[in-house]
Amino acid sequence: MTDNPSEGQTTSDPVDPLNLFAEEVARAVDGQAEVAHQTAKVRVPSTAWKESLTIVAGDLGLGFLSWLSAVDWTDEVAVGDEPDQPVERHYELLCAVSNLTDGRLVLISTEIDHESPSIESVADVYPGANWHEREAAEMFGIEFVGHPDLTKLYLPDEFEGFPLRKNYPLLSREVKPWPGKVDVEEMPEEDGGPTTENPGS
Amino acid sequence: MMDPTLAHHLSEVAVSVEVETEGMTLNIGPQHPSTHGVLRLVARVDGERASSVRPVIGYMHRGYEKLAEVRTYPQIITIVNRIDWVSGFANEIPFVVAAERLMDIEAPPRAQWIRLVLTEMARISSHLVFMASYPLELGAATPLFFALRERERVLDLLESVTGGRFHPNFNRLGGVKPVYAAGPTTKKAGMDIPAGFLNETRDAMGKVLGTCEEIEDLVAGNEVFLARTKGVGVIPVEIGASYGVSGPNLRASGTDFDLRKVSDYLPYADFDFDIPVRPNGDCWDRWWVRLQEIRQSARIITQAIDGLPTGPLQAKVPRIIKVPAGETYVRAENPKGEMGYYLVSTGGLGPYRLKIRSASFSNLSLLPWLLEGALVPDFIAIMGSLDFVLGDVDR
Repeated sequence: MTDNPSEGQTTSDPVDPLNLFAEEVARAVDGQAEVAHQTAKVRVPSTAWKESLTIVAGDLGLGFLSWLSAVDWTDEVAVGDEPDQPVERHYELLCAVSNLTDGRLVLISTEIDHESPSIESVADVYPGANWHEREAAEMFGIEFVGHPDLTKLYLPDEFEGFPLRKNYPLLSREVKPWPGKVDVEEMPEEDGGPTTENPGS
Repeated sequence: MMDPTLAHHLSEVAVSVEVETEGMTLNIGPQHPSTHGVLRLVARVDGERASSVRPVIGYMHRGYEKLAEVRTYPQIITIVNRIDWVSGFANEIPFVVAAERLMDIEAPPRAQWIRLVLTEMARISSHLVFMASYPLELGAATPLFFALRERERVLDLLESVTGGRFHPNFNRLGGVKPVYAAGPTTKKAGMDIPAGFLNETRDAMGKVLGTCEEIEDLVAGNEVFLARTKGVGVIPVEIGASYGVSGPNLRASGTDFDLRKVSDYLPYADFDFDIPVRPNGDCWDRWWVRLQEIRQSARIITQAIDGLPTGPLQAKVPRIIKVPAGETYVRAENPKGEMGYYLVSTGGLGPYRLKIRSASFSNLSLLPWLLEGALVPDFIAIMGSLDFVLGDVDR
């Protein structure tokens, strides 16, 4: 896995099979390919979301739906770490699809507006997206237009708020800081003090 | 005497009138022995047939994706092995591999082989639970005793190495947990697994294979079992794929797709093993594929302990682990199907976002399609054959 010195970077090695595959998908859906850390991603505009996945599922034969979910990109973080670089506020919607022969997998990605997040549902392209979209809707507040039944999946019907949004606080963390974080900060320096591996004597 | 034409007319009426029955809503669960956790089904039934089924899930939702955003990488390993608790060890692998990929490190060969052995043990123990519970749900209690006896043997081996039967928490970024008493692991590489482990494993694998024979003799040709499972709950491969159904459930539908053969998250390329496939996609085929997978896993383990490489257990990692910014998706062939983690790091002590792709979630999402038009008495046979765990559905 680490034989390739450019591993981990966005490679442009033209003969790398994963690059070729990402380029092929990008050409078919008129998107932008990027490959990093052995993961192929193709960015498409949100207006072409459903159309792109229809092409991917049909012509490209990537009929296996691995998952569909979102990432909330924002600097306003209630819990966890903020991004080290300032990011433009948006939701990134991702759909991972694969074939059932050589296991090539591609993430189709699009950006959705943060103010009124809404996108076309792909539940009739990949029927399995039905539940994934219900989960993304209740967790991020993204509206999937044309979804047959966009009710809550995990959460109780009366639940308010969208828990996986970065500005949604985690109540237990508000009440009491996670002790693990303290442990990490107080760990001994690289060359000093006893450690579990070398307890001293 | 009645006019013959009238009598005929009356008899016509009698047969053409059907009893009008209203459809009925049948609630199954949330507490039900065949649901392996807490699952509720709301079925519309017309007589003995279901016209629609709506699974209600979320009773065990623990919000691991949010919890992962406020924990450090080593802490997350303890929560991910609670997703599918029947094969806890296997859940850790794709997560640590994802983090290692972003850090651009790789576990040493010995650590990778130990991971592989324990993953296959998790697969055997998970499939043995299925071998125990599935016939039981259909009324056959005997296989349970054979399967659970063997599972206990495998769990003992897992425990002897990791200290945990269900939640090993044994993987570390860059390797596996060194045994405390063994001192600095680069020096005493031979002391990382307990004495006698290799011989006991070889012995146990022989017994597992023997139990497979016993289970096959007991169940495979059993008339009642065949009647309950043959041709029941058929999943065509394209339908299954479009729902994300994976693992043995899909390989019983005629595809030989197995991530162990096409992905390099563990060194499976060094091993000689077959992918059991069945063409019909019914309950019996799903049972058969799992039984054969136990045999193949035993075969892999036997090869691995014969050729276990020596060397360190841990790659060099900083004491405080920060994962460089990046995104990667790593998926693995878990006992229940494809398990994967989409890890987004922005360079902090914990992930910025961790999407957990669990096998049972997608396998269960097929249920409304699969149970539509099914007989209510077949529900148990069909649901049991999918081998889901609700912790893996709800995450």
